[in-house]
Amino acid sequence: MKIEVNENLIKHLENLSLIQLSQNEEKMLENNIANIIKFFEKINELDLSNVEPLFHPLPQGRLRKDTPRDPLDRENALKNVKRKENGYIVGPRTYGE
Amino acid sequence: MIVELVNDLKNKNLEAEEYVERTYEKIGKYDKYTNAFITIRSKEEVLREVKENINKGGKLAGILIAIKDNISTKGIRTTCASKMLEDYIPPYDATVIEKLKKEGAVIVGKTNMDEFAMGSTTETSYFGPTRNPWNLERTPGGSSGGSGAALAAGYVELALGSDTGGSIRAPAAYNATFGLKPSYGTVSRFGLVAYANSLEQIGPMARNAEDLGLLFSIIAGPDDKDATTIDLSLNFEFKEQNVKNVRIGVLSDILEMSEKPVSGVIKDVIDKLSSEGALIEDTKLGNAEYALPAYYIIAMSEASSNLARYDGVRYGYSKYMEGNWREVYAKNRGEAFGIEVKRRILLGSFILSAGYYEEFYLKALKVRNLLKKSLDELFKKYDILVSPTMPILPPKIGEVINDPVRMYAMDLNTVIANLAAIPALSLPAGFYNDLPIGLQLMGKYLSDIYLINISSYIERNVTKLYNLTAPIKI
Repeated sequence: MKIEVNENLIKHLENLSLIQLSQNEEKMLENNIANIIKFFEKINELDLSNVEPLFHPLPQGRLRKDTPRDPLDRENALKNVKRKENGYIVGPRTYGE
Repeated sequence: MIVELVNDLKNKNLEAEEYVERTYEKIGKYDKYTNAFITIRSKEEVLREVKENINKGGKLAGILIAIKDNISTKGIRTTCASKMLEDYIPPYDATVIEKLKKEGAVIVGKTNMDEFAMGSTTETSYFGPTRNPWNLERTPGGSSGGSGAALAAGYVELALGSDTGGSIRAPAAYNATFGLKPSYGTVSRFGLVAYANSLEQIGPMARNAEDLGLLFSIIAGPDDKDATTIDLSLNFEFKEQNVKNVRIGVLSDILEMSEKPVSGVIKDVIDKLSSEGALIEDTKLGNAEYALPAYYIIAMSEASSNLARYDGVRYGYSKYMEGNWREVYAKNRGEAFGIEVKRRILLGSFILSAGYYEEFYLKALKVRNLLKKSLDELFKKYDILVSPTMPILPPKIGEVINDPVRMYAMDLNTVIANLAAIPALSLPAGFYNDLPIGLQLMGKYLSDIYLINISSYIERNVTKLYNLTAPIKI
């Protein structure tokens, strides 16, 4: 699969990642990303058709009883929040232009 | 040795004041050059805690420790070396920190690192690069470079790092110190700021094998707060493990891909191991050249997902609020992340996007399986596998940072252990032109203690390199 790394792809990735880049960064990353993808494509040399993917090195996790525990109190939990009102976090608009 | 230091403090052969003063004097004199710390705690507060803890007792009663700045410390800012978390103060301790405090350790400061642990030289830090105490023009390796430098400079005897693809072992090698990437699941990751969950582990760093073992025994163990920890069946018995008749496989494919000065020093150590009675055989990992791309594909995919939480709303950099949520997030994230972090998030988003998931991500996971299977086979024949920790000498500041593919290539030898979940330890092997070179030992899953015991024998009888302090030349 030929992947063309151009301005459009970078814009698309900015959008997916929710990261606004400066023009300089866009240019630099266009170049870097093309090189890194070339480096990734090395794995295509291998025939992997009969190999299972290994998602996680441990087959299963430890589970504990689903019993409630004391969480952080509200004041501590919200300590690092920049904008808050009456114990709630103030977020950005989620609708409109 | 920590055991002696604890006793000296307890018996007042060493006064708490003198111990703390000595440490702060060194840091005050040299850290403006090494930049090993992002945050240093107030001397008065630390002295008070040291005195209290000496009285309370514990395996580390009153011992000062440096903590990598991606491990949550209650009340002490934890920045991940990023503008994004520049003023973030965790309201809780990581499990490893709780365990250290229980044994009487006192945190002296938080160490510099690559931003969000993404890098191999500690140059991507928002707080400026750390410099290698052995040669201030060179990098200390990364991403736990601050912890490595703090040990080499003799600021502290113990430090914690985290290792996603070699981030403990690279600085151990480049600073002539000891570092262990533990078997996956042996140390809780609760409170470690997540980068790539399926690969990373918190691990001990120290100036000799005995202290490395002691620190590991304290931080290891199952944790209800981390479902990926395992119920340990490790026997924490530390004693020198003679190398006589130990079956050592030398990874010749990895050795051949390393720089001459590095492979030269490693071959010398291997010859000495052979004359000590170890059974040495050249072997190959096979498919070694595919480990790096597979590792970076997996790491970046996990990173793009983990770093989605930094939106500047619940915490983190939060300058912009005008516009809709997409614009607000994108502006804050665009301004607060450094270029390497952006590169990895963008690439991770690309790899996981429709059409490329099978092409890259799934294939990388298949390579991971292939590598794990080759290692399983090798560990039927060998007790340990050895190779250089890093394929090149410590690079000069600025030498690799602008060429990502070159920087990623530095992790060639180390990523294998993270992909396969096995333990790997780096210890000093020797020097070339006064630059440290590290030897890496890999063992089968849960052979962590065995590796520590072997390295204890090597430091005492083969290399005689331990408790080294860099002669910082300003």
